[in-house]
Amino acid sequence: MTRRGPVFAPDDNAAAPARARPTARHKGGVSETAPHDSALRHVDGGAKYIDDMSEPAGCLHLALVTSEWAHARITGIDTAKALALDGVATVIAAGDIPGENDMAPVMPGEPLLPPEVAEYVGHPVAAVAAADFETARQAAKLVEVHGEPLQPVLDLDDAIAREHYLLAPIVFQRGDPGPALSEAPRRLQGGTRVGCQDHFYLETQVALAVPQEDDEMVVYSGTQHPTEVQHIVAHLLAVPHAAVQVEVRRMGGAFGGKESQASLVAGLAAVAAAKTGRPVKLRLDRDSDMLVTGKRHAFKLDWDVGFDDDGRILAVDMQLAGQCGWSVDLSPGVLSRALSHADNAYYYPHVRLTGLFCKTNTQSNTAFRGFGGPQGMLAAEAMLDAIARSLGKDPLEVRRLNLYAAPDRLLTPYHQTVEHFRIPEMIDQLVASSDYARRRAEIDRFNAGNDVIKRGLALAPVKFGISFNKPEMNQAGALVNVYTDGSVALNHGGTEMGQGVFVKVAQVVAEVFGIDLTAVRATATTTAKVPNTSPTAASSGSDLNGMAAKQAAETIRERMRAVAAEQLEADARAVTFAGNQAVAGNKTIGFGELAQACHQARVSLSSTGYYRTPKIHFDRETNRGRPFYYYAHGVAVSEVAIDTLTGEWKPLRTDILHDVGSSLNPGVDRGQIEGGFIQGLGWLTMEECVWDAEGRLLTHAPSTYKIPTARDVPRDLRIELLQNAPNEEATAFRSKAVGEPPLMLANSVWLALRDAVHACGPGGRAAALDAPATPEKILRAVEAMRP
Amino acid sequence: MYQFDYHRPTSLDEAAQILSQDDEASLLAGGQTLLPTMKQRLAAPSQLVDLSGIAELKGVREDSGQIIVGAMTPHDTVANDKTVQAKIPGLAHLAGEIGDPQVRNRGTIGGSLANNDPASDYPGAVLGLGATVRTNKREIPADDFFLGLFETALDEGELIKEVAFPVPKKSAYAKFHNPASRYAIVGAFVASTEQGVRVAITGAGPCVFRVPEMEQALNSNWSADAIKDIKVAADDFNTDLHASADYRAHLVTVMAKRAVQAAG
Repeated sequence: MTRRGPVFAPDDNAAAPARARPTARHKGGVSETAPHDSALRHVDGGAKYIDDMSEPAGCLHLALVTSEWAHARITGIDTAKALALDGVATVIAAGDIPGENDMAPVMPGEPLLPPEVAEYVGHPVAAVAAADFETARQAAKLVEVHGEPLQPVLDLDDAIAREHYLLAPIVFQRGDPGPALSEAPRRLQGGTRVGCQDHFYLETQVALAVPQEDDEMVVYSGTQHPTEVQHIVAHLLAVPHAAVQVEVRRMGGAFGGKESQASLVAGLAAVAAAKTGRPVKLRLDRDSDMLVTGKRHAFKLDWDVGFDDDGRILAVDMQLAGQCGWSVDLSPGVLSRALSHADNAYYYPHVRLTGLFCKTNTQSNTAFRGFGGPQGMLAAEAMLDAIARSLGKDPLEVRRLNLYAAPDRLLTPYHQTVEHFRIPEMIDQLVASSDYARRRAEIDRFNAGNDVIKRGLALAPVKFGISFNKPEMNQAGALVNVYTDGSVALNHGGTEMGQGVFVKVAQVVAEVFGIDLTAVRATATTTAKVPNTSPTAASSGSDLNGMAAKQAAETIRERMRAVAAEQLEADARAVTFAGNQAVAGNKTIGFGELAQACHQARVSLSSTGYYRTPKIHFDRETNRGRPFYYYAHGVAVSEVAIDTLTGEWKPLRTDILHDVGSSLNPGVDRGQIEGGFIQGLGWLTMEECVWDAEGRLLTHAPSTYKIPTARDVPRDLRIELLQNAPNEEATAFRSKAVGEPPLMLANSVWLALRDAVHACGPGGRAAALDAPATPEKILRAVEAMRP
Repeated sequence: MYQFDYHRPTSLDEAAQILSQDDEASLLAGGQTLLPTMKQRLAAPSQLVDLSGIAELKGVREDSGQIIVGAMTPHDTVANDKTVQAKIPGLAHLAGEIGDPQVRNRGTIGGSLANNDPASDYPGAVLGLGATVRTNKREIPADDFFLGLFETALDEGELIKEVAFPVPKKSAYAKFHNPASRYAIVGAFVASTEQGVRVAITGAGPCVFRVPEMEQALNSNWSADAIKDIKVAADDFNTDLHASADYRAHLVTVMAKRAVQAAG
């Protein structure tokens, strides 16, 4: 690492005097590669998911009755045959919801079960509860739904043409792009498109609702947002929030798909449980999950760009049309993030970005790792590619020319000034370590001598804004209990979906107390322990919950310090916590012994912690402000080869340099980078959602929907974490968020495919290759590129 | 609840007997198509006649210069059979490219041929090699066996016993598979035999078919170049979620060339 960031003192134990005697370090504190807290149990089956829990006595199982129309007025639901089946307990429909029939996360108007209109093929209109799942499924087929078909709008182009929007367009603007475009020496208009992506979490959506005394309900829900499920279940059942407890120990992957979408599953289970007074479980099988729940938004991305003869952008006017599906869902945030990443790492002197909320009669598209950011960023990268090709330049040169730069090229389209921008140095470092220049020349030579196989190479930077776009969501709570043997129970609002938030936050707590990680137990996320939380999303899980837990642990530690000072007959300022003990001079007391002493002294060993992200603000009227506390950065160089006779392709090598600040856990971070990159590669090259002319999703199982596997990963995959690069902002031990940003490193693969296609013709224009770049699309792009 | 009777006869005659008494009875070979179809309630046979207990239907042998593959032989057995690998490497390769290990260990050649899925692989080899399908009633040449989409020359109550493959001078199979299911989007089987060259294409159309123009060109010049300009019409090809008809037509030529190259 060539770059030297500012050096920070460790920000805990600040009172530690230099004369403290050296102590053995505790194990598993921050910056260590501690294994995921459930790593072994994930492998040996000991990790219990909701479907693995013992079912309470009398538990019923739900199966969905779904619309066969893309758009229809429901005129009646005949349940007689289903109810006659042995083992069927009840059928629930809109009329069975005791409270408010709404499951919307943002804007009201999204019924749990539609009272009047079915909006897509797969829309659940009723659900059957029976003694076992097979019976429920058979009974669901016997429910007759009567309806009058209405005209659907099925695809994005149709929705754009009809201005069929869920909400008014949003616009980010800075400067005056109109005149700047007309006056620019060069101007290009173009676009690209990108398809939907299914989350394909290995654990499908699931909830178990268990009625309690009075009007109370416990819901085990595979959700990234227990608080939202709590609120929605409460108003569906017309009970106070306090009567509903939502708990989740872990999910088997979520990726954003269990943020708003989990409410449907939990809500149906809760309504059926309230109606029958019995526990009710709903677990979607894979086909139902894919047919019912929303996906990553497809986008049509169109730009009009003015630039000079070197390729320096002067003005951009871009339209980002998102396919929202039937309901608003989380689309306002998705579109906002798409627009706020349509600059990626590049400065646009004059810019207008317009986001369209296109309504189609398809599944309600929703959060998915990157939350619109990847689609916005793809527009920027395709546009840069087009500029470079029009000038006959290496796209890397044009990318470098347009990077944000001090002093006067730092203002984003949303009026946040880019600070601590690490991309230029990271590009330099990766260009050197990946041997970019030599390989570029070698690949050009290879391509000149080969007609059938063409190779491509591309570098893509990623600048990703960290914080929820909505400032009020950037808060978190935690509860830390120290027991009298020195063991620690940790609870916070973050949900574990395999990403490692539990281990990272536990490392923070272990570090604060100076104890081994094995002494800290992370416990299931529940609204009963930490209330009013935000979803575990926006890459913020460790940032927000880590800081809340740190504050809780510090509160307890400071109380313990006073007791330790008495025990060790030392000044409190001289006491440090390390190596599983409190230390002052040459005296020590074990952490457990100290906890016992605190109890004897009637000092509380329990504390909540609370954190709100500083500095952020955003005006949703003007779309200006500082939505992001900081940026996470990454750079990737990918090399691919295509077969110009079939469009088949192979990833040959990818080099990644990623910025995680001072990593809380390099092993977990590396896993996120690897997994994010591969998921992005799937999104851009093979995962394709296909609907037929009636709006039926045809790709609803792994037999038709291809996700990447080990065989699809570049054999030569080199991942480095940016070293000596603590976050300039005061995050948990100066770490950076890592959940979403690496997904977009896969843009380099898509751009390398475009580079290989470009090599099939005389140049002068970019490849006409959309995403996902399936072999058939690559072949078409090759044929369009040939002279 | 959906119910059916299950039989596991030990002889062909017994199987045919059960079948002849019930129009709603169905044969069960490897179950790779039938069982999922039953789970979806798209098929509801009254009786399942499981052929796995009939010893004479299993295995590979050499007889009078032909390779005989029993109807209940799993793909994996064919793929790894030393005789098949030595005599008809194209056939061993094809069997090893079907689905995944689970499918190859359960699925059988007889089941695949009787089903005649347009995207399945075996019809390519049977037609491409000019094999003969032997049933409990007669021998059916490959050219007469495959009639259309999921349609074969098999009569009601007729069972495939085995398939007799003549040994070609050389042969190979090249497949462009669906990345998710690994079914053939286009599969080309080429063989150079004593009677001349045969080129069979599976996956592209509603049913496996031969390409006479390619066969003629290869008869006079066995090289990939000889067929590089021969295009097949996309007219009745499949356009579906996996590929367009035009793309399939394009791939026919490319896959046939690859097969010729692979055959050497």
